Amino acid sequence: MEGRPTDDGELFARAQRGDTAAYEEIVHRYEQVAFRTAYTITGSAADAEDAAQDGFVKAYRALASFRPGAEPRPWLLRIVANEARNRVRSAGRRHQLELRLAEGFRPGGAAPSPEAATVASEDRRRLLGLVNELSEEDRHVIASRYFLELSGEETASALGIPEGTVKSRLSRALARLRTRVEEASGA
Amino acid sequence: MPELDRLEQLLADLGGDLEWPATPNLAPAIRRRILARPWFESRWAIAAAVAILALAALLVYPPTREAIAHWFNLRTRITQVTVLPTPTPLPPGPIGQRLGLGDSSTLPAARATVHWQVLLPSSLGNPDEVYVGLPPVGPAGGDVTLVYAARPGIPASSPTGAAVLVTEVQGNLTSDSFGKTLGDGATIDQVTVAGHPGYWIAGTPHVFYFIDAAGKVRYETLRLATNTILIDEGGTIVRIEGDLTKSQALSIAASLS
Repeated sequence: MEGRPTDDGELFARAQRGDTAAYEEIVHRYEQVAFRTAYTITGSAADAEDAAQDGFVKAYRALASFRPGAEPRPWLLRIVANEARNRVRSAGRRHQLELRLAEGFRPGGAAPSPEAATVASEDRRRLLGLVNELSEEDRHVIASRYFLELSGEETASALGIPEGTVKSRLSRALARLRTRVEEASGA
Repeated sequence: MPELDRLEQLLADLGGDLEWPATPNLAPAIRRRILARPWFESRWAIAAAVAILALAALLVYPPTREAIAHWFNLRTRITQVTVLPTPTPLPPGPIGQRLGLGDSSTLPAARATVHWQVLLPSSLGNPDEVYVGLPPVGPAGGDVTLVYAARPGIPASSPTGAAVLVTEVQGNLTSDSFGKTLGDGATIDQVTVAGHPGYWIAGTPHVFYFIDAAGKVRYETLRLATNTILIDEGGTIVRIEGDLTKSQALSIAASLS
């Protein structure tokens, strides 16, 4: 019988003592959110992979600065996001982040009729299209909060801004998106 | 018109349906990197750093800098240094030992030992002491030093304890084959004595070095020269040093025969 998964605090404590297996477990736990966070910044899967890898290596070397009991996700995401931003800066170019719906996705709800499913599918495509048309700043904050499901603290870490700024920036981004949705609906 | 809460819900639902690039398996590469020593801790990097530091330390020290330059067949002419070595206090005993001039000898014995013509400054007459330096302590071909005690008009020099030292060695005196480390305030003038080229060096005490007959850099380490005239007497370098004026030194050099 498998035991209860080791909690983050214990893993970080072991990693801080030089247990590389514990750190490998940390990487497994957070590689997806780290990679996707980097992807929303770079817009390139290759750059995101490099940034995430570099970020995890830097985080390992900076483990001594990780405060026991602190939330590990914001700490890790801050390092990875910084790597991603540095990569974009040094490359002097940014790939346009183009989010797409997965092929064959099923809209939520129980057993919709084919017609209802088609309408829902089209609505979502249009909504995503409108998100993609937002400014980079608006798109990043919406992607962080709703698509990556980051907390306010994690979003602040990923965007490199204070948590209070996340709220105001998100509020303005949603207001602008709502305006565009209204305009699209009225057209 | 969607309500804001409704819009947020739609966005949250949308997040679950997005097509993200496949998350790469990062752990193996990260494990390799964190287990590898940083480049600056690698054995080769440490060895390279030690070698560079050692070379830098050697280059700071003029004798080894010259030796290294010679090894690379490069000649470095040193004309000015800011910090001069402190003169080593002269040990007690005969002046030859105190100055590391070699073995005590006589003029005829010295001439017989070195197999080349030892010149004598007739204006000073016979030396009070004669020393011969032979390899490995002395240069290839040996050197002969004539020591003259104080006499009217030429006082004993405080660094050497003698009035005049005349040192002769086989070698050639060219601008790229000898040098002195000169302190601030020292001057070097090119001179000609009876058709032979030379240099008059005066001022702050200096250290003398030259390329000997075997092509090696020879460095005087036991004494700091006083005012000095160096003359190339056609294969024999003659160094005359003491508390001399330039005209005194030129006069002594002109009397070599």
